[in-house]
Amino acid sequence: MDNSATEIQHSWWLRRRLMIGVLVVLAVFFFLLDIALGSVSIPLGEVTRILFGQESEQVAWLYIVQKIRLPKAITAVLVGCGLSVSGLQMQTLFRNPLAGPSELGITAGAGLGVAAVMLGSGSSASLYAIRQLGVSGSWLLVVMASLGSALVLLLVLLIAGRLRDNVVLLIVGVMVGTITLSVVSIWQYFSQPEQLQEYLMWTFGSLGGVIGYHLSVLSGVVLVGLVLAFSSSKALNVLLLGENYARSMGLTVGRTRLLILASTSLLTGSITAFCGPIGFVGIAVPHITRSLLNTSDHRVLIPTTCLVGTILMLVCDSIAQLPGTQAVLPINIVTSMLGAPVVIWIIVSRNNLRSSFS
Amino acid sequence: MTTKETTFRQGGRQVYFRHPLPLFRFFFGTWLVGLSGLLLSCSSASTLTEQSETAATSKDYFAEKTAVRYAKGFRIKYFNNYKLVEIMNPFEQKADTIRYVLVQRGTPHPDGYAKSQIIEIPLRSLVAMSSMHVGLVGFLEAEDILVGLGNLKYVSSSKVIQRIEAKKVVEVGKDQTIDEERLITMHPDLLMAVGSPVSRMDRYRTLTDAGVPVLINSEWVETTPLGRAEWVKLMAALLNQEKAVNQKFGALEKEYNRLVKLTRNIARKPTIISGMNSKDAWFVPDGDSYMTRFFLDAGATYPWSGTKTTGSLPLNFEAVYPIALTADCWLNVGITNINSKQDILAKDARYADFKAFKTGQVYGYSKRVNARGSNDFWESGAVNPQLVLADMIKILHPDLLPKHELVYYKQIL
Repeated sequence: MDNSATEIQHSWWLRRRLMIGVLVVLAVFFFLLDIALGSVSIPLGEVTRILFGQESEQVAWLYIVQKIRLPKAITAVLVGCGLSVSGLQMQTLFRNPLAGPSELGITAGAGLGVAAVMLGSGSSASLYAIRQLGVSGSWLLVVMASLGSALVLLLVLLIAGRLRDNVVLLIVGVMVGTITLSVVSIWQYFSQPEQLQEYLMWTFGSLGGVIGYHLSVLSGVVLVGLVLAFSSSKALNVLLLGENYARSMGLTVGRTRLLILASTSLLTGSITAFCGPIGFVGIAVPHITRSLLNTSDHRVLIPTTCLVGTILMLVCDSIAQLPGTQAVLPINIVTSMLGAPVVIWIIVSRNNLRSSFS
Repeated sequence: MTTKETTFRQGGRQVYFRHPLPLFRFFFGTWLVGLSGLLLSCSSASTLTEQSETAATSKDYFAEKTAVRYAKGFRIKYFNNYKLVEIMNPFEQKADTIRYVLVQRGTPHPDGYAKSQIIEIPLRSLVAMSSMHVGLVGFLEAEDILVGLGNLKYVSSSKVIQRIEAKKVVEVGKDQTIDEERLITMHPDLLMAVGSPVSRMDRYRTLTDAGVPVLINSEWVETTPLGRAEWVKLMAALLNQEKAVNQKFGALEKEYNRLVKLTRNIARKPTIISGMNSKDAWFVPDGDSYMTRFFLDAGATYPWSGTKTTGSLPLNFEAVYPIALTADCWLNVGITNINSKQDILAKDARYADFKAFKTGQVYGYSKRVNARGSNDFWESGAVNPQLVLADMIKILHPDLLPKHELVYYKQIL
């Protein structure tokens, strides 16, 4: 008996290693694919040559790959990792399979922060004026968006702490989201047309337009958030077993919560600030990862979630580019279209959930 | 700035509520066509009764008449004591025209127009919803009839601003939230509204039921600058100012056509790009846009002049970028007020790669933005296409108009 059990464990271990290997290859492949596809068709050979730092026969191609597609693909990777990991942390923290940044109103909270910068403080604080401030500009946006998401997350935590019930938590999330949206609507109502335009374009979600300095800011903040998430992976494992149990294991639950709160707010906040609200990645990816690996060990889950999230975002971005056409779909629409069926699948196959959220 | 899209022009600037998806727009369009079919089948019976036009009086009150030559969006027919104005709904078939009966004040209303709105002319009071409408009033120097505006902030005309300061003009609310109670109390002779697929007549049902005529002005569907400006003839018909409008518009038309001739046989036609990227979409005027007509009339090569869509083209940055890298001139920069190259770079550092940016050939139409934040380009610019065209020619071919000073455009330095 013992033998067979270890064998099964061993075979799972092998499968996992293989799976992660395949995922890494896929992530690299889709990264290159995302750069290769676009409205302007550039031969694959040229794309790789440009990526390896060689000159191209056409200046326009060089510019397109270096200044448009590469930053966009990097942004997709950051968004995929950040949103997926923050979704995973939330699902564990609330021990609720339906938790995720956009479902609990965290994204709406970040949107509130962004709206405060873009619309809330009159004409002087339109995004364009903010950007003129340079450094403080993009930082201000990140700080406000992170604060907004932290505020909502705290609120949800407080309420969820009293009522441990999946449905209640979701209702709270939806309600909080509605409240923040209505505040934003009031601001919209009293805003200048061009600020509205800016904000409306932001709400569609976009991976383009994050370049240079903004990209460094986003990368930096997402990295900090991910490091925090990795460092709390053991604590997350213990939390899954229930808080009382966690306390008996000697875990300071309050501090762990704060750590997770900081990590998720930074990740969701910064990504929402720069790329707009992107739905469903946060809730769908952790479930896909769990079903792939059949484990709830966060030391494995977190890096794999990053991989799966990266692949998903790169695929979504490739689709959003509508290769061969000159138009582009808002990224939010594509992620929702791919993510919503996953959520339905989660709800339908509840057996799969019980194992992870005992 | 394109013509066929849902624009809410609030004073000096426009807010675009565009569907980012052509696909979505397509469905929306088919839905509208379907709806119009329904409406058509319901209303065809009633229009039959209106065919029997009766002359209410035998005296001809309108000695001077005006004829529409460029505009596709409206028609005027003259009868003894009334004029019949038909405004085409741009989103539907020709059959869907809204008719207005403009009756000389104090004469009997003609029979047979039970379904049409009656407007008594000449107007004594008008509420306008867009800065373009203010431009129409200004063109005919009839600012005194303005008693209400959708938004008091976006006004460029000094005469209207004086009236606002003297509390003679009130704010009646934005497009979506019109203060109906106030309007009914004011009871103006006419409310001129902006036509768009979302602002169909039903929205003004309350007002029309209360006896305030509402005229839907869809000037922005016109595909030529002259067609757009020609809507002053509609305003003139409402004011019995046909004589003045025939003179003034005639002069404008002559000047515009003179300018077009200047560039017609020119050999070098610089390539231009228009507008700006916002996040994932760069909306460029398409082949049917009046803006594109301006570009071509000014002697420019415009890469998207051959495209036919039902609105502006949302292109991704990548599609515009290769063209923008080598284009000679960059016009209509920014929806927001962009006043320096620094502002442009703050939006996106990649603009620095454009040839036009490097050579300084970057222009926006924000020269006449006043302290209120209103841009006259949308007000008097709409009815002075010859000035806009002269500006563009001056920018693209300075040697053709050595004496011309830029009116609406300015170089972004």
